[in-house]
Amino acid sequence: MEDVMSIASNSGDDIITKEVTLNMGPQHPSTHGVMHLILRMQGEKIVKAEPDIGYLHRGMEKIAENLLYSQFVPYTDRLDYLSSMTNNLSYVMAVEKLIGLEIPERAKYIRVIVSELSRISSHLLAVGAWGLDLGAVTLVLYAFREREMILDLFEMLCGARLTYNYMKIGGMRGDLPPGFKEKCRDFIQIFPKRVDEYEQLLTGNRIWLQRNKGVGVISAEDAVDLGLTGPSLRGSGVKWDIRKDTPYLVYDRFDFKVPAGGNGDCFDRYMVRIEEMRQANKIIAQALEQIPDGPVNADAPEFVSPPRKDITTNMEVLIHHFKLISHGFKAPKGEVYSSIEAPKGELGFYIVSDGSEMPFRVKIRAPSFVNLQSVDPMSRGAYFADVVAVISSLDPVFGEVDK
Amino acid sequence: MNRNHYNFDLNGLLKKVFFVDLIQGLFITFHYTFSKTITMKYPDEETWIPYKRFRGLHTLNKNKEGKELCVGCELCQKSCPTQCITVVPMQDTTGKGIADRVAYRWEINLLRCMFCGLCEDACPTEALKLGREYELAGTSMQRHLLTKEELLAPQAVPAEFEGGVIVKARLGTDETGIKVVPDMSVQKRWW
Repeated sequence: MEDVMSIASNSGDDIITKEVTLNMGPQHPSTHGVMHLILRMQGEKIVKAEPDIGYLHRGMEKIAENLLYSQFVPYTDRLDYLSSMTNNLSYVMAVEKLIGLEIPERAKYIRVIVSELSRISSHLLAVGAWGLDLGAVTLVLYAFREREMILDLFEMLCGARLTYNYMKIGGMRGDLPPGFKEKCRDFIQIFPKRVDEYEQLLTGNRIWLQRNKGVGVISAEDAVDLGLTGPSLRGSGVKWDIRKDTPYLVYDRFDFKVPAGGNGDCFDRYMVRIEEMRQANKIIAQALEQIPDGPVNADAPEFVSPPRKDITTNMEVLIHHFKLISHGFKAPKGEVYSSIEAPKGELGFYIVSDGSEMPFRVKIRAPSFVNLQSVDPMSRGAYFADVVAVISSLDPVFGEVDK
Repeated sequence: MNRNHYNFDLNGLLKKVFFVDLIQGLFITFHYTFSKTITMKYPDEETWIPYKRFRGLHTLNKNKEGKELCVGCELCQKSCPTQCITVVPMQDTTGKGIADRVAYRWEINLLRCMFCGLCEDACPTEALKLGREYELAGTSMQRHLLTKEELLAPQAVPAEFEGGVIVKARLGTDETGIKVVPDMSVQKRWW
């Protein structure tokens, strides 16, 4: 009861009333997906915010134990379903690390391009839905227009708009289709102007500032202690970005900045996301310039299916294709952890192999799940309306939280 | 918690008094009042033709002579993570052997399918393709269990068509439900 007293007395003339428990969600429109928050409230103020998760639990990690390594890739799409490409990337990178497979340069560049496009589309939805939650409905319409462009590009690339399944172990399911580069260049030319428009709509807007500045503050030490990653951590001023600090793929060849905030409030997290979209745009532009020609699949017959033209002409290759599809490949015994910078934070896969065709154990380090635990320290002592801003600023996706 | 973020300089005060920040935002929405619309009048007047690689409803293909390409190798069944495909190859009842092996039964349970496209990758004869049909809602579960005959039917959009365009469409109804009939003669791109 002590903390209740202190919260109430801090704000001066508040009267201490009976503590109320309020269930926010899992059907509340301003919580993301099936988020359920149990709020203990003293009047309008939050005493404790406790997330109750598991409504979307599908047992991803257990499913992985019963599938071949290659068959689990489409399931990773369903983790953070707003940026499936980065989920694919993290998983296939972990498996490639386990079996010690090096992929061709062109595939690396394609992976960078699609994961940065994914980052933009994820941040667009995060910022758009954030505006929607706080009453700035205009923004989500504009953000979805640009997101639609990216989904259009992805549909061209891999044939799906949400669950891409574009990467496979040892490469990509297909090369860039003709006309993709031009379309992508069109997009990266249009996009910075559109970000300026979002900023004109929101960044200076007094209502937006009042709803976000000084709300949901978390210090850099607390953020690190809680294991926050991604824009939520960088909003507090910690410049930790896996793309920069332990570069994977070809990120060390690009010139980009890692934006960071100073106060660790919701507004800083918003600014970090806006700036990250611009930086991602820059990375795509550089990647499209530098992308080399060549194959997109590794030349490793024991792990990767042979090219289609060989399957239809060569009997031995066909037999090998049959063997690979129906039995999979045996991974060496051991364990591996590999992580990438997903739009929400550090997405890691920890795979234990017992030497068979299926993983013995897969542990998914989902950024939304870890980030969600900071809802309580961020919203404690704040008003009920601020919780909405705090949740939006963390941008949790419940496919990933509940797994 | 300091919510007072404005410094009380004259410029800032004037901006605040004259609602400059809000007017800036309203200018953008006003500007878009006169720009071209990007939304599509689906399904009454327009519909979307997906790109070539689109992963929609499965199709089984025939070769130029009209023979089924599927040889009943069951590889799609083995590659499927959700086990939604059932393939039974043709049995040799004559005792003389079969020259052209085809599938005796080829069934798919679309209620389980997640359209990942792994079956398409596995197929050695390019018989199985994920087509461009995406209006898959139905009122009975039985309608989602499709057999070989339904999948062998010709597609509304030819496979060679590049796609990625909005075309004119007409909303029609028949005994199976509502159908959007595309008219490929009028095409446009939306960006």
